[in-house]
Amino acid sequence: MQGLVTFVLAIISAMLVDNVVLSRFYGICPFLGVSKKTKSAIGMGVAVIFVIVLATIICWPLYQLLKLAHVEFLDTVAYILVIASLVQLVGLFIKKYSPTLYANLGIYLPLITTNCAVLGVAQGNTDQGYDFLTSLANGIGTSVGFFLIIVVFSCIRTRLESANTPKAFKGLPIALITAAIMAMAFMGLQGLFVQG
Amino acid sequence: MEILWSIIILLVLGALLGLGLAIAAKVLHVKEDERIEEVAKRLPNYNCGSCGYAGCKGLAEAIIAGKEDNLRKCKPGKEDANFKPILEYLENHPNEDGSKVKAHI
Repeated sequence: MQGLVTFVLAIISAMLVDNVVLSRFYGICPFLGVSKKTKSAIGMGVAVIFVIVLATIICWPLYQLLKLAHVEFLDTVAYILVIASLVQLVGLFIKKYSPTLYANLGIYLPLITTNCAVLGVAQGNTDQGYDFLTSLANGIGTSVGFFLIIVVFSCIRTRLESANTPKAFKGLPIALITAAIMAMAFMGLQGLFVQG
Repeated sequence: MEILWSIIILLVLGALLGLGLAIAAKVLHVKEDERIEEVAKRLPNYNCGSCGYAGCKGLAEAIIAGKEDNLRKCKPGKEDANFKPILEYLENHPNEDGSKVKAHI
């Protein structure tokens, strides 16, 4: 029971309090690139959830293996290999089952490979020395947090399209300002868990 | 020893992932018009994007779909090396209903 509570708390903490997009500015490229339409934002979010969770599950045992062979310095290279393969897999899958989504995501789909949120989670888990469950919680939390933020952001941007923004701020500038305000709003969640 | 292990681990990992992807590519194969591939093969394949499409394959898809008929959109393409072979190929490979794919230089 205690373990479950810690697990859920770790997920929520990674999702809301330490949201990687807003607190560390990971994964900004798809965050700005694919957030014009809510539908593609959802597709992107789901793809990132899939890649991050699977990458976490694979990377943790992989690191143990690397540690066993005393070649820990290979971690980043090995993670990139795993992530790149997973992204290829997701790409094949989406191409088969949703060609529209495939066309909408466009170049941003293969770019999940270089999405620093994905590598950031895998590398962060290693650097923090998390055990498997904590790593998994961190992975789920981070990816769901990314999903949440990109979907919310895309909804805001859809409304902004029709808003009367000054000409110089149309498009990306106002989107960046919105992201900054969202980041400040999420800072308010910092005190959600009090160490005790 | 470290080097040996590094090579072994990365080799095995790469082979396993590659095998997995090869199987996935077979299972999740999408049937495409083979003419797209053939037209893309005859383009310069710089993937420069100056035609306004995402890479040479994008232009090839647009040509086959009938959305683009001006081959000159491909800036680095040469008349003898690229455009004429494409026209010749399209001439010999009509659509299923017998109509020709429209394209000109």
